[in-house]
Amino acid sequence: MRSHKELMNFRFFFFVISAFSLFLPATSLWAQDAFSWQDKDDNWLAKKAALQSFGEQFASSMDLYQALEQAADGGESLDWDDMANAPYDWSGIYTRTGGGLSFDPDIRGNEMTAQLTSAGAATRQRKIDQIDSTGGEYDPISDCRPPGFPRWATEPFLHEFIVTPEQTWLVNEMVNDVRRVYTDGRDHTLPEDAYASANGDTIGFWHDDMLITHTMYLYSGQYQRGTQPDYSDQVEVVERWRKVNGNTLEADYWVFDPVNLSQPWYSRQSWTELANEDNFLRIRYWDCQENQNNDIIEREDGTSQFPDFDFIENDAEVSNDEAVR
Amino acid sequence: MKKIYFFALFPLSFIFSPLVYAHHSGAMFDGGSVVEVTGKVKEFQYTNPHSWLLVDVTNEDGSVTTWGFEAEGPSTLMRAGIRKSALPPGTAITIRGNPMKDGRSAAAWIDAMVDGETINPRNGFAVIPASE
Repeated sequence: MRSHKELMNFRFFFFVISAFSLFLPATSLWAQDAFSWQDKDDNWLAKKAALQSFGEQFASSMDLYQALEQAADGGESLDWDDMANAPYDWSGIYTRTGGGLSFDPDIRGNEMTAQLTSAGAATRQRKIDQIDSTGGEYDPISDCRPPGFPRWATEPFLHEFIVTPEQTWLVNEMVNDVRRVYTDGRDHTLPEDAYASANGDTIGFWHDDMLITHTMYLYSGQYQRGTQPDYSDQVEVVERWRKVNGNTLEADYWVFDPVNLSQPWYSRQSWTELANEDNFLRIRYWDCQENQNNDIIEREDGTSQFPDFDFIENDAEVSNDEAVR
Repeated sequence: MKKIYFFALFPLSFIFSPLVYAHHSGAMFDGGSVVEVTGKVKEFQYTNPHSWLLVDVTNEDGSVTTWGFEAEGPSTLMRAGIRKSALPPGTAITIRGNPMKDGRSAAAWIDAMVDGETINPRNGFAVIPASE
């Protein structure tokens, strides 16, 4: 006859095996599914959770990128004949489909899907406190610095996407902001020669109709103003782009940032081609200095202000703001 | 002619609304109040990152105050159906905006009435998809 202790051990062992047997197929299933494209449908939240878990299996963005590259047998080369095929025809004028100022378009306001480190949470709280105490903030793009990547994904203005066999250009009209994805097989700039920039260094490959990219060597920044978190200069991003129908581009984003994120942050970004029958929508040069009325200064309380309008002769006399005076 | 009235708006909704997305935050505008003026268009500065519609308003004493109304840049205005030619100098207009907190004659443009038609520059972020 088994002792009570043996019985408890057996029950515990049975519980562990049962739980594992349930968990293993689920994770394997999700892992397999995550290597292929997942359509947004009524089951999206479950799929999204699986894509988040998939990212969490990898210690680094490069590990994830290389796993996707291995699944694609190293990736495919395109030629100019491929450009005529619908999956690679990304022509047209696009804009962000939705999501407002949230990096994760599925959430609103104070909601947050990023798993922040204590440092990341503290930085975000400081932003919220700033808005609560002053009613505003100073956005670094006020003096027309580039938004930088990955914030690039949240900008709501016009976009163009240009696919060629060796490079894909991802264009945001705001401050003439172009990301170049090199798909000619080159590697990243060597670490000893690398330098940070607003959009970093992006390489990629094609897997069927999906463009998979890896970006690193970025400036620090914020996903957006308001309640959105910050990212550090150690941020790296894996993207998986696909044209999902005749007028919509979507992209899986896995953001890795050891300073601000305790786990990779998964989101599905989307851009919609705009109706433009009269061809009036065009991307032109975006010159931040062309109108004096758009000059912005930072006030001592960390908010923003217009210093000098050209339609008011005596701004300093009529304004009750010390910053203007 | 100028009117100012106040709304009990939830302040953060002004800051985070994509309808007022700008290259700067909206901290300088009072999102809880609205100014309305009637006058004539002086100049339409159709520029990036923001456009400014300047409106001359005749005061009761006969003096003229120029008001500036800030909106998004050209491409976003075009998406709202507002082309540069829509508001030539001299156009009679009644226009509303969230006024500056510091008392200057400027505001974040909400909407306007011209020839009995309403113009809404904040429609520019509406996503009207191309046919598939």
